[in-house]
Parts: sequence; C-alpha cells; structure tokens
Amino acid sequence: MFQWRLTSVLFYIKKTKAGTVFDIFNVILSVVFFFLFFYPFWNQLILSLNEGTDAVRGGIYWWPREFIWSNYEYVVTVAGFGRSVIVSLLRVVIGTVTNLAACGILGYVLAQKSFKGKKFMRLITVLTMCIPMGLIPTYILYNELNLLDTFTVYWLPGLISGWNVLMITSYIENQPDALMESARLDGAGELTIFARIIFPISVPVFAALAVITGVNHWNSWFDVMVYNASGDYDTLQMTLRRLLMKSEIAKDLMSSNVNEAFKMLTTTTIRAATTMVVTIPIAIIYPFFQWYFVGGISLGAVKG
Amino acid sequence: MAKQKGAAASVQPVGVKSGRFQKLKREFKRDRQLWIVSILALAFMIVFYLLPMLGNYMAFIMAFIDYKVRKGFFGSEFVGLKYFKQFFSLPDVWLVIRNTLVMGGLNITIGFVASIILALMLNELRFKTMKRVLQTVSYLPHFVSWVVVASLAMSLFSTDGIVNEVLINMGLLEEPVNIVTKGDTYWIFITALNIWKTMGWSSIIYMSAMAGIDQELYQAGAVDGLGRWGMVWHITIPGISSTIIMLFILGVGGIINGGFEQHLLLGSATTREFYETIDTYVYRYGLEMGQYSFGTAVGLFKVLIAVVLLVITNWISRLFSDTAVF
Repeated sequence: MFQWRLTSVLFYIKKTKAGTVFDIFNVILSVVFFFLFFYPFWNQLILSLNEGTDAVRGGIYWWPREFIWSNYEYVVTVAGFGRSVIVSLLRVVIGTVTNLAACGILGYVLAQKSFKGKKFMRLITVLTMCIPMGLIPTYILYNELNLLDTFTVYWLPGLISGWNVLMITSYIENQPDALMESARLDGAGELTIFARIIFPISVPVFAALAVITGVNHWNSWFDVMVYNASGDYDTLQMTLRRLLMKSEIAKDLMSSNVNEAFKMLTTTTIRAATTMVVTIPIAIIYPFFQWYFVGGISLGAVKG
Repeated sequence: MAKQKGAAASVQPVGVKSGRFQKLKREFKRDRQLWIVSILALAFMIVFYLLPMLGNYMAFIMAFIDYKVRKGFFGSEFVGLKYFKQFFSLPDVWLVIRNTLVMGGLNITIGFVASIILALMLNELRFKTMKRVLQTVSYLPHFVSWVVVASLAMSLFSTDGIVNEVLINMGLLEEPVNIVTKGDTYWIFITALNIWKTMGWSSIIYMSAMAGIDQELYQAGAVDGLGRWGMVWHITIPGISSTIIMLFILGVGGIINGGFEQHLLLGSATTREFYETIDTYVYRYGLEMGQYSFGTAVGLFKVLIAVVLLVITNWISRLFSDTAVF
C-alpha cells in the first residue's frame, strides 16, 4: 500500500545530475546489500551439495563443483536425527496450537466491552511483556515445578504470550458486536461463541500469529539446552549446534563401518547440509510473512 | 450485550433487587465464564511471570540466600550481600563489564544507524521490483536462529572459508586466518553479524514512519528546488526523527545487552577475553557451575543498570526534545 505512495514522490522531482548520481549510488549500494544478505545462504546451499573432500580445495563460489546428495543422506541417517525432527515438529505443532488456543480465548475475553475485569487483565497482560525475567529465577521455578527434562517445558511456560493476546483482542474488537450478542440471545455459551463464530472470522490474525509462533518454536535452541540438558528432547536446532561445537563427525567419518559414500564428506559440508535442513522450512513459509505480518505491522504503525 | 436477564430483573419491584450490589452480582453471573477464564489466566501469569520476576527484582529472596537445588527454596540459607561482594571481587569482573558495554554500545550506535540507512536507501529506490526483492531478502536473517547464523559464519570466516580465500586471492592476506577464533577482531566480527541479522527487520519501522510523512511536504520541497539529497536531508530525516529518538531511548538500555546466544555459539577459549558478557557470565557461573544465587545476583545487577539507563536517557531526551517514552 505505502509502496505506491512512496514511488509517487518521485514525480515531483526534476532530473538533475546530482539526482542521477544519487540513483546510481543507491542502486549499487542495494546490489551490495542484496549480495550480503543473500550470498551466505547460497554459499551454504552449494557447499551442502558439493563433495566434502573437493570443497576443501576451495574455489566454489557460485555453483557446486562435484555435485552429490550424500551430505543430506548422512544428515538423515545420523543417530538421533529422526527423533530430533519429530521433537521439533511436535514442539512447533503443540506449542503453536496450545498457545493460540489459550491466547485466543483470553484475547476473546479481553475484547468483551462490558466485561468488568477487562482493564485489570489487560494491564497484567501488558506487564508480562515488559518484565525481563532472569535466567536463573526462571530455571529455579521450572525446577520447583518439575518441568526440567520434560517435553512440557516447551509449550507450557509460553502458553500465554502478551503480544499474541493483544493482537487477537484488537482484531476481535473490530468485529461487529451484533454477532456475539445474537449468539448470546440464542443461549450460546462463551466458548461456543468463540469457537463457532469468532474464531472462523478471525482466521487471518490466527494464521499470522501461528506462523510467527511456529517459527519461534522452530528456531529456539537455548531453552532446549538449558531446560532439557539430558538430550532426550533435543530439537533439530540442537543437532545443528552439536555439529557446530564438536568435531566428532570427523572421527565418525573415518571409522570403517560407515557407508562408503560418506568417506568423501567433511564436517564443513555436513554442517552446511544440516543448516539447509533447518533453514528450508523457514524459506517455505516465508511468503506468509510478506502477506500477513510485514503488511500488518506496517499498516499498524501508519495508523499509529 | 446479553440483556435478557437484566430486562427480566428490571421488572421486579424497586428496592428489592436493583441495588448496586445486586447489579454487580447480576453482571458477575452473566460474565461468569469470562471470569473463570480470567482467573485461570491470572493464575498462570502469576506463576510463570510474577514468580521469576519476584526472584529477579526482590533480590532479598533469590540473590541473598544460598540456593541449593536439593534443599529447595525455603530450606536454603540466608547470606545477605555476599554474592554482590563476590562478583565485584572477582578478577575478571571489569573484563566482563567492558565486553558487555563495548559490544552493546557498538550495537546501539553502528547497528542503530545501519538500519536507518537501509530504510532510507530502500525508500529512495526507484525500481519497485528491486526494492521488494531487497526488502524480502533483508528480513530473512531475522527469521533464522542464531545457530544457523553461527553456522553460516563458521563456513564463511573459518580458515578454509570463502572470505579467507577471496582475501588471499586479492593479496590482502598472506596466509589464512580463522576470523571466528581471532580475539582482537572479535568485537567487529560479532557486531557485523548482529547488524546483518537485525538491520532488515528493524528498518521496517522506519519504512512505515516514512510512509506516514505528508506528501505535500515533498511537493513543497520540489517547488523550492530541493533535489534528491535535499529531500532526504530536509524532509525524510526530520520526518522520522521522532521515531528515531523514540527507538533510541528504548534501545539505550540495550547497551547492557552485549549479546548472549551468539557468544555461546561462536565464542571459544581464544576469544573468551573478548566475548564474556554479563549474560554469558550468569549462564556459565549460575547454571553450568550451579552457583544459582551468585548468578541471580549478577543478573539482578544487570537489570538494575538497564532500568537506570532507560530512565536517564528518557530524562535527557525530555530536556532536549519533545519526545519521551514516559
């Protein structure tokens, strides 16, 4: 929306020499920035598709030289990979669904205009967003609640996130009250109204928040490391981190009992493949950000 | 909303059931499901937000007792200011504070300016497709985890990485250097990664502030003979200045955030002298070594500094301009 307005500015400006210099400078700078943002990912992609021992020689800039899939095959067969994929996916699904269910219901409650407890609950919700929580007090709390080394620690503490609640509330507030009132006159309970009437018309905001919440769950690794130190519930990010930290794959590759094709791989190319496995799901759902989120927050800021 | 019960009640004789208390009671009965949800949510937020906060702020509880996991919270011994004293008597405390302030400072200065420059540049791009592509690509680093960024950095900057290769081919380097584990360039290295990861995303807010600038100003500027540079300098930048000041005030407290995840992933024994920040210190001593109370005391020290910084900057900003957060 605002892109059209911005470009319209250019009609007012007459062409001058300084203006042309400005444009050329700007375009060159943009190309440089594009390269800086894009190339690191491209570099990983081509490394992950190249033979490891060949990659050590260097000189791979734009295209894989010795094309193979073995890096990915190795990553998929490595011990614990399958489990960590399942844990990651479960975390994304359970974490997102429970979070949105809880935030949705609370957001619905806070959107009721005649509800007396609304103001207080909103204040508390905003406060939870401002509080910087200490790492250790949080750790101790989870210890006291027996949440350490469980899957529960992934979804339960983040059940209510202030930002999601407020986004849902403001969306529901913009819907016509008559919808809820008529349902109440028909004797529907609040949960029924939420599930049958409000949720279906609020799908856009839920979809946007689902994408953001899901990506956050997919990306988090620190809480895995701290709260699930046992390694029983390692996520994919943790598998990648282990590859970053340790050189044990090199030894593993040397040993005789691995597949013959894997002997040509190196830590660098395997790490590249793992990075791509972690990044590609993000790239797939990435267009949704463009549609929902980026447009949404820009609009919100303009309306301000 | 839901007046059917209220309507029935108002038919009844005055003075019997229409008092203030009765009205509240009726409303409560009507909204009981809403109340149940609210109370559950409140209980949840007390447990998961208020309790750790109490632990953090009211340091009488956490930082002043000698917490042992086995003894639990109430079985631990009260030790007073011991852990604060311990922190300031350690030899590497000034190192930790220095690293935190230097890297936090680089982020809120260079990093802050970088996202404004990117936004200005995007705003002035004539080619719409180019602009959209660059915007899209610049947000991507925000959506990948630090683990991925660390992995990319290790591939690019390690001894056999492409950066070394290019530098050697250009004759700028004699022999490969592992930039990731090089101590004296670590601050620059990490700041570059921070900027790379955040600048695209933080430019969005400036972009939308620029979209809010009155278009008539540009028309008037064109009439007065402003060129491209003039428009940027005299209209666009003043137009977003309140956003800039606001974000700067909010960001100043961040000087105390010298980074955390990136150091845990990329820091090594050779760079420890340069990467150890308050956050990693709290993690290392507090969690890895199990000195919970000491870690909490150090963490509390950090939160206090952040709050003080925010208040001071806000006060200065109110003195010199109209913009203030509170």
